[in-house]
Amino acid sequence: MRGEYHSSDHYVAPPEPPTSRRPPVATVGPLGWVRANLFSSPINSIATIVMAIILGGLLWLALDWSIRSAQWGVVFNNLRLITSGLYTRSEIWRVELIGALLVMLTGLSLGIWGYVSRGVFLTVAVSLAVILGVLLIGARIGEPTLYMLAEPERTPASLVFLGTQGDEVSFEIEPLTDLEAINARPLGYIENQSRTDWSTRAREARDGTLDLGAYNLHLTAALFRPDGSPVTRDGAPVRIAATPDDAGSTQTVELPRTGWYKLEVVRDDEANDENAGYAWVKVRGVELLPSQSELLAAREVEYGPRPTAARALLAEEAAYRYEGTRTFAEFISLQVAPFLSTIALEAVVGTALFLNGWVIGILGRRERRVRRTTLAAWVLSVPVILLLLGGIEGSRALPAVPSIQWGGLLLTMLLTVVGIAASFPLGVALALGRRSDLPVIKLVCTLFIETIRGVPLITILFMAKLIVPFFWVGLSDLDMTVRMMIGVTLFSAAYLAENVRGGLQIIPHGQIEAARALGMNPLLMTTLIVLPQALRAVIPAIVGQFISLFKDTSLVAVVGLFELVGIVDIIVSGQPIYRPYQREAYIFIALIYFVISYAMSDVSRRLEASGAGSVHARR
Amino acid sequence: MAQSNSNEPIIVCRDVNKWFGNFHVLKDINVEIYPQEVVVIIGPSGSGKSTFIRCINRLEEHQEGQIIVDGIELSHDVRNIAAIRSEIGMVFQQFNLFPHLTVLHNISLAPRYVRRQPRRDAEQYALQLLDRVGIPEQARKYPGQLSGGQQQRVAIARALAMQPKIMLFDEPTSALDPEMIKEVLDVMKELAQSGMTMLVVTHEMGFAREVADRIVFFDEGRIVEVGTPEHFFTAPQHDRTKLFLSQIL
Repeated sequence: MRGEYHSSDHYVAPPEPPTSRRPPVATVGPLGWVRANLFSSPINSIATIVMAIILGGLLWLALDWSIRSAQWGVVFNNLRLITSGLYTRSEIWRVELIGALLVMLTGLSLGIWGYVSRGVFLTVAVSLAVILGVLLIGARIGEPTLYMLAEPERTPASLVFLGTQGDEVSFEIEPLTDLEAINARPLGYIENQSRTDWSTRAREARDGTLDLGAYNLHLTAALFRPDGSPVTRDGAPVRIAATPDDAGSTQTVELPRTGWYKLEVVRDDEANDENAGYAWVKVRGVELLPSQSELLAAREVEYGPRPTAARALLAEEAAYRYEGTRTFAEFISLQVAPFLSTIALEAVVGTALFLNGWVIGILGRRERRVRRTTLAAWVLSVPVILLLLGGIEGSRALPAVPSIQWGGLLLTMLLTVVGIAASFPLGVALALGRRSDLPVIKLVCTLFIETIRGVPLITILFMAKLIVPFFWVGLSDLDMTVRMMIGVTLFSAAYLAENVRGGLQIIPHGQIEAARALGMNPLLMTTLIVLPQALRAVIPAIVGQFISLFKDTSLVAVVGLFELVGIVDIIVSGQPIYRPYQREAYIFIALIYFVISYAMSDVSRRLEASGAGSVHARR
Repeated sequence: MAQSNSNEPIIVCRDVNKWFGNFHVLKDINVEIYPQEVVVIIGPSGSGKSTFIRCINRLEEHQEGQIIVDGIELSHDVRNIAAIRSEIGMVFQQFNLFPHLTVLHNISLAPRYVRRQPRRDAEQYALQLLDRVGIPEQARKYPGQLSGGQQQRVAIARALAMQPKIMLFDEPTSALDPEMIKEVLDVMKELAQSGMTMLVVTHEMGFAREVADRIVFFDEGRIVEVGTPEHFFTAPQHDRTKLFLSQIL
């Protein structure tokens, strides 16, 4: 029990409130955050450490693989396929033009309405610097050794390569006379056939069926110009004449001019008919050509036809496979630099166009005319893009490209954008219809939504392909791509309608009463009061739906359209040389999917946090 | 008894009856309200006073009897309802401001889209109204950034923006902190002095006594007693009124 109250129980605060102080140092800043969040309790500390080890390990494995042994050539040699699919090659400029148009319009719109944060700016600047920097550094890092196996069955053989004036090329012959030599793993690019042969021979040697001691190869290796004249150093031809007793020393030569060269390896049959044994021919300083026929053709146009020989091996990527592990420098030079060099031009042009549009936008953001023109340009860009993509039947300047040829990222984005643009209004209309007071409209909308939601997307796509033409013959002429767009749109709209309905349900009745009391008719009430609030409330769900729509477009592969996944399937299964590199190819498109999905959810987060009514973010 | 500049009542209710399901919420309501009159409706919770004033701008439908506002009878005719609603401003207990719009847009929205006024005019008038309710500096803020009292004053300005002939107040101060009630009541007093016809459902007896021309006492869905404040507070006739007043005063 409380006893009697005394005057000391009465408290009056001093007239001035205490001044605000800073919080204790240990609770703020990065250290405070770490302490409060990562190591707040023993269990939390253990969890932090265990997860750090697991995540670090996974990251290490991924980086180790992608830097030291992955072969990303499958990606950068097929960038055209990945971006635009089987689009007619000579018309590819149309896709590029569309890209340029969109980049410029985006820059313009960002300049007018948007706000480019310093972070975004820095990211773009750093990416460009990295692209250019890597290109510069990459050019300075030497090429790895090329390995060819000299063997009785396949010699003579010639290595044909494209050399640049001043490049230092060296070659040597390494006899495989004992088990240790043949077991040693080569480090660098091994010619494919040589690799198979080498592993067979090594196995035989270990089994004892092959006697490496019987080595008596007489080999001559010499470097020739395309016209057949030998490359000389100090007046003497650069060549190695290897005998069974003396493999000869490494020959190094500075190439006299840019062009084709041929390293000819000849077996001296006359000296010894029983020529037997195996040796590595190692060549350094030779760059592999990308294995794409059009690039090769371009090289031949530039430097003349390449030299021919009885057994000519072109120094092209497809004929070689990297063995062993790379250093980071080699990774930059062999994997990153070629990729960046294929996109460098596009990146620079794109950035220039973007900045151009952005500056115009910044300067003109107060001008109503500029704003209107930009809006009109966006609207106009839709038919222009479709016209550019599809072309005109019978036109010479803009020949038709059937939509079945549109593929890769182009098709994925097209399906996504059309799906979003069409399913959004449809979904909102369905959601409103489902809440309508008119029973018939309500029934139709509910029936549609529930039917579509009850069926897998793949079924809808198959129906769009196979069944719809049965119901209505007129539809059988409809383009397959358009049919897929419709299928994807209907599917997305049904889910979107449910999301929007969720948003409509959380609008308090008071909002509707207030709107009615102000004399608004149902149309005004819906467009001015209900939808803006309902849609804002379900932005995360809607964007989530759009992200899954984006990823679901990969299902159109089942009806024979080659979007991102489909085209990679074609690359790795249609071109045997890329079959070993499925992992690289699929990981690359996974990255594309991730980057775009992440960008979408980032935009959604910004939308939620910004603009009208986001009272929470404003605090 | 009623102070009026016109002999014609602006609101006439004749034998109004309303049910929620089987619950008889309004029973034979008969009342006439004259232009420029301030009528305060009081009564215990659930007595039907809110439902009654919501019937006047047809947020609720009555099922029997007649409600005639400014010469137009409330019926199912959509055009009548639209015409009447734009004559009547309403202020709600929970403010019901549009949270996705700034204060300025909250006020100018209906004039712009319902009355089709040019944006510039509507916003200019909105700023005048904000000045009138004493918060001109809040025009660019969102409702969520304002105090309850400020929000309710915005709600009053929003209703006034349609230049109504009648203002309905449905417990305008019931959701407010005691410190903020006065600022809202001051605005309502100013409005009453300017000659607005007002129907106010409230529990603020001080306001009723000071501002009302007539007080209507509701209980169990019917009007129990109507009178001037002096009559009502000093000499109530009905036992129910006496009981009610004895409990709240």
